[in-house]
Amino acid sequence: MSGRFSAAIDYTLALAVLLFAWWLATGPMGLPTYLLPSPLRTWNALVTIALTGELWRHLGFTLQNIVLGLILGCIAGIAIAYVMTRFPKLAVWLDGPLVILQTAPKIALAPLFIVWFGFGVLSKIVLIFSLVFFPVFVGAVAGFRALDPKMKDLSKLLGLSSIQRFRQIELPAAMPEIFVGLKIGAVQALVGAVLAEWMSGKVGLGYLMTFASATYKTPLLFAAVLMTVVLGLLLHVALTILERRLLSWKGAARG
Amino acid sequence: MSQSERMIDIAGVHKTFVADHGTVTALEPVSITIKEGEFISIVGPSGCGKSTLLRLISGLDQASGGSIKLDVSGRKRPVGFVFQEPVLLPWKTIIDNVRFPLDTSGISRGQGDKTALDLIKMVGLAGFEKALPRQLSGGMRQRAAIARALSDDPPILLMDEPFSAVDLLTRDNLNDELLRIWQSTGKTILLVTHSVEEAAYLADRVMVMTARPGKLKCVHNVELLRPRGEETKLDPAYHALVAQLRRDLRTPAGEAH
Ligand SMILES: Nc1ncnc2c1ncn2[C@@H]1O[C@H](COP(=O)(O)OP(=O)(O)OP(=O)(O)O)[C@@H](O)[C@H]1O
Ligand SMILES: [Mg+2]
Repeated sequence: MSGRFSAAIDYTLALAVLLFAWWLATGPMGLPTYLLPSPLRTWNALVTIALTGELWRHLGFTLQNIVLGLILGCIAGIAIAYVMTRFPKLAVWLDGPLVILQTAPKIALAPLFIVWFGFGVLSKIVLIFSLVFFPVFVGAVAGFRALDPKMKDLSKLLGLSSIQRFRQIELPAAMPEIFVGLKIGAVQALVGAVLAEWMSGKVGLGYLMTFASATYKTPLLFAAVLMTVVLGLLLHVALTILERRLLSWKGAARG
Repeated sequence: MSQSERMIDIAGVHKTFVADHGTVTALEPVSITIKEGEFISIVGPSGCGKSTLLRLISGLDQASGGSIKLDVSGRKRPVGFVFQEPVLLPWKTIIDNVRFPLDTSGISRGQGDKTALDLIKMVGLAGFEKALPRQLSGGMRQRAAIARALSDDPPILLMDEPFSAVDLLTRDNLNDELLRIWQSTGKTILLVTHSVEEAAYLADRVMVMTARPGKLKCVHNVELLRPRGEETKLDPAYHALVAQLRRDLRTPAGEAH
C-alpha cells in the first residue's frame, strides 16, 4: 500500500518537473511557438478539439485499431503456437515460413499492406496484428513447450478432453510467457497504429499529427503527441492490471 | 457389494523403454493378483521399476507385453494417483485443486465444494482452503494432492513415494491418517516407499523388487493385527518382518534366500 502511494508521489513529482522545464523553455527562455508551444497553448488546443469532439473521434479510432490488433494478434499467436506444439510435424513445415516472416521488418511492409488492404481500417489492423502476433507467438511457444510433463500425466489420468486440457492446464501454465510477449506486442501495437495513420487515411491520432504539422499548428501537434503518450500509459496500466489478475498466483507480479 | 477377488490382475507384465542408446528393461515380467480393499506396499532400490509398475497400472504408460485387468466395471477414472511430487495447479487455490477432478467430470460446484471441504478437513488442511499451493509447505501440498486423488472416489489409489518429502513425525501422522482413510473407504491401495518400516506398518502384503533388471523378487504377507498403531511398532513380529525386508533388499538379485 505505502509502496504504491510513494510510487504515485514519484510519478507526480516527475511530471511536475517535466511540466516546469517545459514552461521554463517556452516562457522565460522564450522558445518560439512553432518550435515549442507553451503548456497553456497546448492545453488550449487539446481542450478545443476535445470540445468539438474531434479528439474523441481520432483517439477512438486509434484505440479501436490497437485493441482489435492486440486481440486478433493474441488469439492467432496463441492458437498457432498451440497447434505447433501439439503437432510437431506441422512445426517442421511452419518453422521456415514463420522465421522469415518474423525477421522481416513489419514497419517496412506497411506500404505493402496499404497496397493490399487499402487506405482504410483494414491495412492498419493488419499492420498492428503483424506486430503483435510474433512476440505473443514466441512467448506462447516457449510457454507451451515448458509445460511440466507431470501436468500432462495429470490430464491423461483425469481423462481431460482437449478443450479441458487447454483451458484448465495448458493455457494458464503458459500464461506468464504469453504475457511477456503481449507486453512487447502492446508497445509495438501503438507504434504500428500511429505509423499506419501517418501513411494513409483521414482519422486517428497519427493522422492528427501529420495534419497539424502540415498546417503548422504546432500546439495541435503537441496535443496529439501528448495524447499518444497518454494512450501508451493507459495501455501499460491496463496490461498491468490484467497481469495482476491473471498472474497473481506467481506471487512476483505485485509492485 | 461382493468383494472382488481380482481387483487388479497383473499377468506377465513387462516394460522396455527405447532410449537413444539402446533399450532399457525397466520391468521384467511381473504377475500378481490384488484383491479389492487390499493395502499393498512396494519396496525396492532406486530404478527397480516401482514407478513404472504404477504407471502401467494407471494406464499412463502402455506395457510392452502381458496384461493388466482392473475390475472396476467401466468407471471413467478407476485410479487415483498420488505422484512423488504434489503436481498441484499453482494458479488454483487448494479447494479448487481438490475439486478439480470433480469440476472436470461435470459434478455441480456445490456438491464438489462439499466433497472437497470434507477431504480437506480429513487430510488436516482445514483453514487453508483459499491458500495457493506456493503458500503451503511441501508436506501440506502433498496432503492436498492426496485429497485431490480421493475426491472423485476412485476404487484404486496408487501412491508413488507420497511421503518422501515429509519429516518423520509428520510422516508417522500421515501414515496413520492414510490407514484411517483406507479403513473407512475400503479402497485398494498400492503404495511405493523406500522405507521398509513404513511398508510393513501399512500393508497387507509387501512386494519386494530388485533392480537391474527390475523385477518382483518376493511378496510377504503381513500378519500384524488391525487396526495398527503405536503398539504395532513394538510387536516382535513387526521387527522380524522389517529385518526380513532389509535382508531381502540387501541380497543381490537372483540369489535364493
Ligand atoms: N520414460 C523412460 N524412458 C526411458 N527409461 C525409463 C523411463 N522411465 C523409466 N525408465 C527406466 O526404467 C527403470 C525403472 O524406472 P522407475 O522410475 O520405474 O524406477 P523406480 O523404481 O521408480 O526408482 P525410484 O525409486 O528412483 O523412483 C530405470 O532404469 C529408468 O532409467
Ligand atoms: Mg520412482
